[in-house]
Amino acid sequence: MTQQELADLIFVTRQTVNAIEGDKYSPSLEVAFRIAHVFGVPLEQVFQYQAQRNRGK
Amino acid sequence: MSRLGFQEKMLWARFAGVMVVVGFYLRYLAHSAPGNHYFHAIIIVLLFLFASVRTLARWRSRNVVEDERDRAVAAIGTRWSNNILWAGLVVILVLYWDHGSVRSAGYLIAILFHLLLVAALARIIRELVAYRMSA
Repeated sequence: MTQQELADLIFVTRQTVNAIEGDKYSPSLEVAFRIAHVFGVPLEQVFQYQAQRNRGK
Repeated sequence: MSRLGFQEKMLWARFAGVMVVVGFYLRYLAHSAPGNHYFHAIIIVLLFLFASVRTLARWRSRNVVEDERDRAVAAIGTRWSNNILWAGLVVILVLYWDHGSVRSAGYLIAILFHLLLVAALARIIRELVAYRMSA
């Protein structure tokens, strides 16, 4: 699946999908659920919370 | 580096438009004789053209997706712009408080014009930076 195809399915721009993939943008819960829904997997299989990296933010 | 999205392209266009106005203004400051007011007429024409192009672009882009990232970036730019405007207004009030009066209505309008210009530029540049940081 291309970034553009995924973007069309979750109603965001291709640039946003690219930013999410590059770990430069954290999507909203709604978009995160949409991505998980598109791939038919649980949310935690797509996104993981990394406490160490987020500490101090 | 990802290709530019529509919103980012529009930001670059706005940046170019504002820079044209700024460039023209600086040229006016450097070369025009005192009392020469053609600058104001041309600024109004430029602003009218700017608004027309923007309206046309918005109308043509009605099918373009504007997502949560675009809105988040716009909110960051708006916050910066508002902060600068508030700071500028406080400076104007302090000037007024300090001197008892502002020199003239023209002086006040000039300060407001520069303030709006700086706020608009800061907003555009901050949004472009935000797009690049999350691209």
